[in-house]
Amino acid sequence: MAPNLPACPLLPPSPSLLRHSIPTPIKLQFLKQQTRNATYVLRHRRPYQFTQLVQLSDGSTYTCRTTSPLSLYKSAKDSRNHTLWQPSDKSLRNIEVDEAGKLAAFRERFGRGWDMSDNTTTTEESTTPEMKAEAKAVVEEKKEEEIDPFDSLVDLISGYATADNKNTKGGLSAKDQAKKDKAKKK
Amino acid sequence: MASLRGLSRPARGLPLSQASLQTFSTSSRRCAASQAAAAVAVEELAELEDSALHTPQLSPEEKEEFRPWKRQVDREFSLPSGRYTYHPPKFSRGPLHPIQSPPSSDPTARDFVPGPFNLPRLRHTYLSTCASDIMTLAYQHVPPGTEKKEAPQRLRGWDGSSPYHKNRPLRGPRGSAVLAIREKDINFTNIPELKEITVASFVPKALGDKDYLLVCRNVMLALTGTLPEITQTKADVAQWHMRAGQPAGVKTTLIGNAAYEFLDRMVNIVFPRIKDWRGIEATTGDSAGNLAWGFGPEEVKLFPEVEANYQMYAPRMIPGCRVFVKTTATSDRQARLLMQTLGVPFYGEVRN
Repeated sequence: MAPNLPACPLLPPSPSLLRHSIPTPIKLQFLKQQTRNATYVLRHRRPYQFTQLVQLSDGSTYTCRTTSPLSLYKSAKDSRNHTLWQPSDKSLRNIEVDEAGKLAAFRERFGRGWDMSDNTTTTEESTTPEMKAEAKAVVEEKKEEEIDPFDSLVDLISGYATADNKNTKGGLSAKDQAKKDKAKKK
Repeated sequence: MASLRGLSRPARGLPLSQASLQTFSTSSRRCAASQAAAAVAVEELAELEDSALHTPQLSPEEKEEFRPWKRQVDREFSLPSGRYTYHPPKFSRGPLHPIQSPPSSDPTARDFVPGPFNLPRLRHTYLSTCASDIMTLAYQHVPPGTEKKEAPQRLRGWDGSSPYHKNRPLRGPRGSAVLAIREKDINFTNIPELKEITVASFVPKALGDKDYLLVCRNVMLALTGTLPEITQTKADVAQWHMRAGQPAGVKTTLIGNAAYEFLDRMVNIVFPRIKDWRGIEATTGDSAGNLAWGFGPEEVKLFPEVEANYQMYAPRMIPGCRVFVKTTATSDRQARLLMQTLGVPFYGEVRN
């Protein structure tokens, strides 16, 4: 094996080199010359694409090229009936419609425990942090006064959950440890 | 042939003598009022762009008439075989070789890609309104005659304490090898534009079960309409039973119309259908005008292409994917401006 072959074997070796070295047979596979025979021209591999008519929820249509074979795509939920894109559209707001009075009847019978808790309305209206804090305080007071703890089923369930989640393995959880450390520092 | 284009499809298939007979017979059956109404309708439709949707439905008789195989059987002489058609060379042997392959725009070329078939809606919106809006929004008035501020040199020089410092190139910034891109003001020559979208998916489960990779590839193919490239793992991680160089992912890059259509689909159909979605986190971006976000497996299922053929994929094997949107904007805030005009909502704190 000849590890150090000249980069370009076609040049004659220098006379001083010739004198001292034993002539070695040049192997073709060791030649490091640029070869550029041909480049294969690839055919592109493209899946078939259909022209699809898309109908958005407001009835507007447009065509697009997709791999989906359906010729018409009707969407039920899209950017035309989503509050994030249509913030001024009041019909998209989540407002309770109770024309038949069924919800009222349900509340009369079972209480308001099944309602979703909403504290978003107050925070939206007040802009400055002080106002927010005030609003929060007011809301909390109201809650303490008005809401019976056993009326809210969510609270009831979460109360049981905390009772079950007691640490049985011994030692404190990271959260409790942090609390303890804080108390010690004080 | 151009005059034949106006005829209906089956009529085109018939020989010319029969076609004239056919049109004569059908026209004699029509009554004048309906013909006039049809003419008005055709005039109205002519104002719209050329579309295949206006072509009338085939009647059962017409369908029966349309028999291309019959024509082939009845033909007395055979058409010239493929030997006589031009086939471009399979190999390109360099610009100096006497045999040259045709340019890729030639329909006979091996690397010819047909199209474009439509102007994507989002691109049309960008060209007609978004581009000028962005330019107007970002306009900063400079009174004429104000001197131009020269940008400070950010590369560090040499102090000249050694004679070898002479003619040395300037050094890069401290702490990092790369010089961060500088934000350019938006003017009419460099309005930010969508450059390309790369969709990538990493499927570590494919190391154990190759089916995951197959499903991932099919899903990506359906989403993007291009044949994705398989990616290999880079590093050896013993805990994950991963060795470098194993196939475990998929990626594709969309450019031009395809990129606009993919973005349009995400913005108008996929994003609104994600449950409790607030928008893209505004901290995204590489501070060079490229934004990225991701879809979980549940969200990939919302794409209409996957939805259309949902039964084809094993439900637990559907992968998530990452979407990298590359723009010509030079900063994240310009890129965000572009994306917001194209309809991508952002939320949360802004980093840069």
